[in-house]
Amino acid sequence: MLIEGNGSRPVSGTLNGTANGTMNGTNNGSQTTQASCPDANGTLPCCAGLAVPYVPFQQNNPQKYSQSEALSNGTLFPGLNLPFRLAVDGSTLPSTPLAELQALEFVVLELNLYLDTHKDDTEAFRLFQQFSAMEKAARAAYEAKYGPITQQTAATGDSYQWLSDPWPWNYGQNEVN
Amino acid sequence: MFHYEKKLQFPVKITTPNPKLAAFIISQYGGPDGELGASMRYLSQRYSMPFAEAKGLLTDIGTEELGHMEMVAAIVHQLTRDLSDEEVRANPTFAPYFVDHTTGVYPTAASGFPWTAASIQSTGDVIADLTEDLAAEQKARLTYDNILRLSDDPDVNNVIRFLREREIVHFQRFGECIRLCKEKMDAPNIYLSNPAFDKTQPANTRSRG
Repeated sequence: MLIEGNGSRPVSGTLNGTANGTMNGTNNGSQTTQASCPDANGTLPCCAGLAVPYVPFQQNNPQKYSQSEALSNGTLFPGLNLPFRLAVDGSTLPSTPLAELQALEFVVLELNLYLDTHKDDTEAFRLFQQFSAMEKAARAAYEAKYGPITQQTAATGDSYQWLSDPWPWNYGQNEVN
Repeated sequence: MFHYEKKLQFPVKITTPNPKLAAFIISQYGGPDGELGASMRYLSQRYSMPFAEAKGLLTDIGTEELGHMEMVAAIVHQLTRDLSDEEVRANPTFAPYFVDHTTGVYPTAASGFPWTAASIQSTGDVIADLTEDLAAEQKARLTYDNILRLSDDPDVNNVIRFLREREIVHFQRFGECIRLCKEKMDAPNIYLSNPAFDKTQPANTRSRG
């Protein structure tokens, strides 16, 4: 399932097979608004300066997974999901409140890195705002039930709960449900 | 500054301890292409970056790598929990690590070489640093490929697959970052000066059609 709505364009709308159809002739890598390539492809300058590495620029408004699929696959973007031959499937996640919080936080992180190189993608920024708010609410609900995960929240309780088990690296961290 | 969050980025739940696996997964903690080196590399390189995109990306990816370091340590810790003397004796690949560190988590390569800053660089040059970062992500990716070849533990592979895919995403972002930085540098010859060091651009006398 892909994230839809919120202004997202249809998933199949970008497949026209002409990878160089709208190259604009400059080597301006951030000019990626003309989505003429398939989602798993990016844009390259047509007359690129020599002796410098080029990675195809991911086009604006790429396809996105839902948050649990994103965490399971290790990326928010289907176009960047390139698994090793021994592992064609995504990872299985425990169905715990912690994993749900981790999934929301992961979408925020992926959008953060994406926006670092695509700061003009307004759709991605809207999603970034939306998921940050969802993550904040989910974190507050989680901490109210299972104890603080930040020092700041530890200071709001009736007593000092920061030292309570489990710690993240303990096997028992995953037993909470 | 940094604040600690008392949770992992991705769940680590290893049902079956397996010291043999731990003995080579430790390489992604303290090995030449491990997560400790990745975070130190990016968080050190960011200071000389003259462009906002590079400052931001190196900070954000460097911070994520700290979280990956914690995940790899959690794998090693869980793989070596509740061991008996007999189990250690039965694992000649883990025994040398055990002699020095018992079941403590220590930053070392699988081959026994302790973590060293000699495996990373911070050159103070935009293109050199970001090109090193592209290579670093590829080397970490292939190390995870090799761990997936060697490990048949589904709980471990769950986490390794996630970490491996992160290397691919980081590679993509560093590649985009080079493009963004290049656009801000001298167009006919980006090697004319080092914008991280030379405060004024020398006149470029070379013309190109």
